[in-house]
Amino acid sequence: MSLTRRQFIRNVSVTGGALTLGFQLTACSGKPLQLGSEADFQPDAFLRIEPDGAIILQIPKAEMGQGVVTGMVTLVAEELEVHPERIGYAMAPVHSAFADPEMRLQITGGSASIRVYHEILRQVGASARETLIAAAMQQSGLDRASLAARDGRVRSTDGAVDLAYADLVAIARALPVVSDVALKPADQWQWIGHYDQRVDAQAKTDGSARFGMDASPEGCLTAVLLRCPWFDGAVESFNAEHALEHPGVVAVFATEHGVAVVAEGYWPARQAAGKVEVTFTPPGGGLRDSAAITEALTAALDGDDFASVRDDPASAKAGQGTLVSGRYAVPFLAHAAMEPLNATCRLTEGGCEVWVGSQAPDLAQDAASRVLDVPREAVVIHNQFLGGGFGRRAAADNVAEVVAIARELKRPVKLVWSREDDMRHDWYRPPMAGAIEARVHADGSISHWQHRIAGPSINQQVLPVLMGAMLPQWIPGGPRQLVGDFVGKKDFASVEGSKELPYQFDGVSVSYHNVPVPVPLGYWRSVGHSHNAFVVESFVDELAHAAGVDPLEFRRKHLAADSRERRVLDAVAAAASWGNAPAGHYQGIAVHDSFQSCVAEVVEISLVDGKPKLEHVYCAIDCGQVINPDIVRDQMIGGIVFALSAALHGEITLKNGAVEQSNYHDYQLLRQTDTPPMTVVLIDSAAPPTGVGEPGTPPAAPALANALFAATGERQRRLPLRMG
Amino acid sequence: MVAFSLNGRNVELKVDPATPLLWVLRDHLGLTGTRFGCGMGLCGACTVHLDGAAIRSCSTPVSQAAGRSVTTIEGLGGDHPLQRAWVEHNVPQCGYCQSGQIMSAAALLASNPQPDEENIRQAMSGNLCRCGTYHKVQRAILSVAAVEHWQPAAEDAS
Ligand code: FES
Ligand code: FES
Repeated sequence: MSLTRRQFIRNVSVTGGALTLGFQLTACSGKPLQLGSEADFQPDAFLRIEPDGAIILQIPKAEMGQGVVTGMVTLVAEELEVHPERIGYAMAPVHSAFADPEMRLQITGGSASIRVYHEILRQVGASARETLIAAAMQQSGLDRASLAARDGRVRSTDGAVDLAYADLVAIARALPVVSDVALKPADQWQWIGHYDQRVDAQAKTDGSARFGMDASPEGCLTAVLLRCPWFDGAVESFNAEHALEHPGVVAVFATEHGVAVVAEGYWPARQAAGKVEVTFTPPGGGLRDSAAITEALTAALDGDDFASVRDDPASAKAGQGTLVSGRYAVPFLAHAAMEPLNATCRLTEGGCEVWVGSQAPDLAQDAASRVLDVPREAVVIHNQFLGGGFGRRAAADNVAEVVAIARELKRPVKLVWSREDDMRHDWYRPPMAGAIEARVHADGSISHWQHRIAGPSINQQVLPVLMGAMLPQWIPGGPRQLVGDFVGKKDFASVEGSKELPYQFDGVSVSYHNVPVPVPLGYWRSVGHSHNAFVVESFVDELAHAAGVDPLEFRRKHLAADSRERRVLDAVAAAASWGNAPAGHYQGIAVHDSFQSCVAEVVEISLVDGKPKLEHVYCAIDCGQVINPDIVRDQMIGGIVFALSAALHGEITLKNGAVEQSNYHDYQLLRQTDTPPMTVVLIDSAAPPTGVGEPGTPPAAPALANALFAATGERQRRLPLRMG
Repeated sequence: MVAFSLNGRNVELKVDPATPLLWVLRDHLGLTGTRFGCGMGLCGACTVHLDGAAIRSCSTPVSQAAGRSVTTIEGLGGDHPLQRAWVEHNVPQCGYCQSGQIMSAAALLASNPQPDEENIRQAMSGNLCRCGTYHKVQRAILSVAAVEHWQPAAEDAS
């Protein structure tokens, strides 16, 4: 959805006087936002130009590898008429000016950053440019038509006037911001769609990039936390006698989250933690073992207690044709980002500062303020680079933990999770089971597509937390949980990617049954699409084989002729030479829409000792206008590696309420030796940009399962794939 | 007291000799470019050089570095041919694994200046990347290997 100019103004302007973008520095209603100095030219909350010409862009989204900094800098650079590498950047502080205009939270998710901000940031660049030109008009006495901006300078057509932006800062800052500006037409773009470097590559190559893990305010100690292995337990008692004798240990104490061991550095803290004896309160009831959860999901599918989320009129061919059916299941998954969770806190007068790599700094602020029982404004969040996010870093459990530790310790402290902590205390992608059936008719049509989904609802757990940060702080948790419970009944996250089936089948119905579990759940790269694409696109393959039609042809036949799905399928099929795989190679195909983008993939495998060997992955994406082609390709490849790691290895299991996996040996990821060559095709499009960070993930698992069927004739309906 | 050479400078510090080199670098010496990923030798994020060989600093007690020479990502200087290739090819996504990737790659090139793709895959298989930058890592290393290959033929020497 693109904003019209009018909507844009409504969404981002402050009423009255000169229009400014996002925030009016002079006449604000909330807490004043003063970034940089009085001498800077600050046309809006996002941008400032300092008297020496330094240009600084506030990045309202988290940089977790998806390239949002580069994308945003590029959009501003295009209109501001400077090289992207001339724009410095900073992670925006928590402020309403930086809340996502759709989500109303300063959260990075839903692959939405560029889709939501592309026009806003071009406006930011264009407004600043025109205001600088207005300053040059004042300085030179020339009119607008005789001046043009280029390479960070304003020049007159005859060359007599040639002013650097730095020379115009003092005049520009006193002028009303020029807001009624036309954006550059696409055929004049220098950087959008063309710039293919990353502005953060150097810092991430020479070791200087600062992640949350690297924060170190003066006098900072290191803490580790002993948490209850099951999720509903608390510390009952502990004995720290031996731990306190360990050299370098400063303090051992209990908080509401566990037993904190604080020392001068991670190593003594971790060593001493091994010497603490802790007793936790016994686990409560509910589903505490993977086997019991699997059983509950199966029982739910066998029952008929489902909430309908899509119910098309029944087909006229009800009861005819051949009935095809299958049951699918996927497990809990961990995010396993390379940087273990961590957060650093320093208490201040009446509040605190927190250093963290967060996908939702306003949720982090809210969590911290609740722990200290102070107003949100008393908490300052310094957002850092994220060593991977994938949805995990939208949660602020690490922040609540470190603030509670600092509250007791009264000294600056960094909480570092071990890899084991990270694996065992994730907010997991929930397991899901699906029962799906459809009728294949002699005329090639499909009717009676019935998809029932059973599994735990993420939003039943997470929405109350999100609302906590959006609503006034005094509103109690009870009503928020009621909303969560209500939404959980038909959780949109559980059914996304199933409900919006793109195929022209007759009598589609999709329904859901929530199976609550006492395990924290969260958004995992592509969320519901991660499991629904597997079920839907595997089952479409089943139907193609039942109909005796080639899987590509079958999909094309049931998709609208001018659809994006067909376009990406055709592109990927051409790239992969579909139907002409080398001898001994087998191909599987899948297409899926998510985050308003459309992606098709072909996975090509061979069999070695009956097990799949990945030979090549082909991918085509339509994500509207591409801002940075190299980053889009990398996001596709990264999303595919992420999905194939899960499809081949990913499984978190529970025993007595605790997670059994601990580190990368029992939760494996694809390595350099496992990753096949990949080819990515970007569909040319001038439509507004759509999602890129997540849409590469969903089609990979079904394409792999479909390739396995092509190779073996056996249908794999469970993830991770267990061969033989 | 443990003494060793770090990025060409002598360091001497009082520390429990069992402390992994990783935490000595990060917590005692403030060199945060070397990353903590797993603590078990499984991910390679903590890779540094000990006398030129790639080691996992999370699983190497600092006592093993005594009297020897340690090089970290900071010691490559930022302008090492591999680092330049890394920037040119936009290898990093989140960037967290990249110090380790580069240190493994540098050790590979030191022992085998012209690795082929299979050599690279094998040598780099101990370095996990959750963002999936493996192709870019491979391409960047190959580009440097290729440059090394051309140099002897260049006219500059004459
Ligand atoms: S942190 Fe050392 S190998 Fe993972
Ligand atoms: S770049 Fe993120 S883990 Fe490798």
